Amino acid sequence: MRNGNQLDTAADLLALLGDTATEERRDAQLDALALAVAADLPVLLWGEPGIGKTAGLTQLAADLDLPLTTVIASVHEPSDFAGLPVVGDDPAVNGVPMAPPDWAVRLCAAGKGLLFLDELSTAPPAVQAALLRLVLERRVGALTLPPGVRIVAAANPRGSAADGWELSPPLANRFVHLQWTHDTGVVVRGLGGVWPRAVLPRLDRARLPEAVTYARRAVQTFLTARPGLVHRMPGAEQARGGAWPSPRSWDMALRLVAFATAAGTSREVLSMLVRGTVGDGPGLELLASLDRLDLPDPETLLADPDNAPLPERGDLRQAVLDGVIAAVRDRPERERWDAAWTLLARAVETGPPDLVVVPATTLAALRREEWDVPALIDRLAGTVALSRRAVAA
Amino acid sequence: MDLEKLYAARLHAAQTRPYLAAALFALHVVESPSTPTMAVDRHWRCYVSPAFVDRRTVADLAGVWVHEVSHLLRDHPGRGDAYATEHGVDGPGERLRMNIAADAEINDDVYDAVLPMPADAVRPQTLGLEPGEVMEYYLRRFRLGGRTQPFAWLDCGSGADGHARAWELGPGGARGLTKEERDAIRFRVARGIAGAPGDAPSGWQRWAERVFHPPQPWRELLGNAVRSAASAAGAGDDYTYQRPGRRSSSVPGVVLPALRRRPPSVCVVVDTSGSVSDGELGSALLEVTAIGRALGGRRDLVTVMSCDAAVATVGRLCQAADIPLAGGGGTDMREGFAAALKRRPDVIVMLTDGQTPWPSARPAARTVIGLFPRRSEKWVATPPWARVVRIG
Repeated sequence: MRNGNQLDTAADLLALLGDTATEERRDAQLDALALAVAADLPVLLWGEPGIGKTAGLTQLAADLDLPLTTVIASVHEPSDFAGLPVVGDDPAVNGVPMAPPDWAVRLCAAGKGLLFLDELSTAPPAVQAALLRLVLERRVGALTLPPGVRIVAAANPRGSAADGWELSPPLANRFVHLQWTHDTGVVVRGLGGVWPRAVLPRLDRARLPEAVTYARRAVQTFLTARPGLVHRMPGAEQARGGAWPSPRSWDMALRLVAFATAAGTSREVLSMLVRGTVGDGPGLELLASLDRLDLPDPETLLADPDNAPLPERGDLRQAVLDGVIAAVRDRPERERWDAAWTLLARAVETGPPDLVVVPATTLAALRREEWDVPALIDRLAGTVALSRRAVAA
Repeated sequence: MDLEKLYAARLHAAQTRPYLAAALFALHVVESPSTPTMAVDRHWRCYVSPAFVDRRTVADLAGVWVHEVSHLLRDHPGRGDAYATEHGVDGPGERLRMNIAADAEINDDVYDAVLPMPADAVRPQTLGLEPGEVMEYYLRRFRLGGRTQPFAWLDCGSGADGHARAWELGPGGARGLTKEERDAIRFRVARGIAGAPGDAPSGWQRWAERVFHPPQPWRELLGNAVRSAASAAGAGDDYTYQRPGRRSSSVPGVVLPALRRRPPSVCVVVDTSGSVSDGELGSALLEVTAIGRALGGRRDLVTVMSCDAAVATVGRLCQAADIPLAGGGGTDMREGFAAALKRRPDVIVMLTDGQTPWPSARPAARTVIGLFPRRSEKWVATPPWARVVRIG
């Protein structure tokens, strides 16, 4: 009787401990995972054990309304993924069918689901080989998983994996690699009783055609400028087992840019996805190229110099003004030259004057003899004084 | 505030340091009388005291602009936080130390004949330390005391040490840059420097090479290479048909594989031709043999031999201290390979400076080469069939 009471009290204490609140919070890495899963690309999560990979996937599965199946690779044999042989009456005539395990049959019957292959890196090599076939070809034994099943794998980083497991370059190229880290602040707050509830990105149906156009233009513009990055095998010892650029991974990156655009997610999420697909260097370069793509077009600015928006950030504004001056130099005409002066005057009045000095000097040098100096040049007088002080220094 | 003077200084800075122009123009100026001089926060806002602008010349201010933007480009707030977490120390004194160390790192590259160094700037020499090192190196080597007394007023804002100040706007304030925007600017500056290497001083070139490809510690890389060579198919735990699996009893007539452990044998060949320093060699050897033992579990599976022009000694590994190393003179590692292959190892680890001929064909064991640098020469060619880890 006394023991029973103790257990009841313990259950009450456990219930109290389990009574936690949640708060809405955007989580960039979960956003990235959700988009990659939505884009139907194989994802590989790299993270230390015990930092909430499974918790993140549970939230994702609930949000996508998919049943979650977790398979821990290290406790399975290769035949569990390649299929278990079932010997019939006359194997030589009928063959030996490879029977799939129960979870695969259930996934097929449901037609949809989220399959999470945990601890890929701690499984023996033969099991990993069988698992990778499952991830990439979606086959378990004789069974093919339906398209509604999305697959996410998780592995420990090679530094912390005991046996230094790593992916060969062809395999690494097929995955979106996402680094999974924990945020100390979130963990501390969660232990205090308030866990975050992720708000996942939503694809906006109205933006779909625009997103596809944007993604195609972005990748095309970038690779036209940097053809060397279309295909580059990882060479250095550091880059082993990670993402690298190839036509396949650029196609994946294009898909991810389109998904991120349609969902309107932040640059941080897009950066994680793109860097995880084509590697850090090419990914960052693509993002830098996207920044330039987002800047206003010089011709638009010259067409409507009084109202066209100028970027607030100093370095972007300078890049835009340089672009405008270059456009005037390419096709020097009286109206375009005047419009550029109007733009420069507006730039001086709405932001720091120092970054207008070089464009103004270049534009003045483009003057033809028959062109009159516009009256609004007085508005730029301040920059001349400023430029003199800089030269005098 | 004399904004014209401040912006004239920024223009001067951008003209003398064109490779930093994008970063300089990205800074957003905030007038702030409570800031002691000029300071930056980690969101790329620049706080300026009007009195400070009045006191200094345009050339002086230009130097300060470059100084502040250098803190941000070199990610001193992030590195300061990382140092505080790693060492478990934090507080005003520790953050002041970080600011001093950060200044010591950048001031060598900031000033020259055009932008003169102010008399009160922190230099490694004033701390009694050698120049050309990084913030983390300096942090381990000085304390607050007599030498640092003149710098007690130093305050470059949270952009230099990561600690938020009362007069800063904080993450929610206007016109701050997000982490992605900050990374994009740093990447653009680094690409600019790497693309035109003649223009920037060597400190900035080193930064540009490493900022997005931080060098990993060679111990980790060497460990990864040896571990992955020793655990690849054919060695370590794996399934084998040499013996039927226990599950076979449930499917009569079918042979299922069993999990067998085949501990890998590792052979370490050490180049003792005299060009490799003892300290480096010793630490690399310890690393490899420790990994070999952890993987194999049996000490007779790790062999160490030394090699110069001919193979001198072969030693079984008992204790790392006992490994006999003999040699000196020219090197021919082909002899080392031939001797190692006689023992049929799974993995050969070669520790050498690379001044040697290599076998023309791929040997019958996975090969990891630990390559030591030579003072006088650049890195040497290595065979394509080996994994190469540069040590040091």
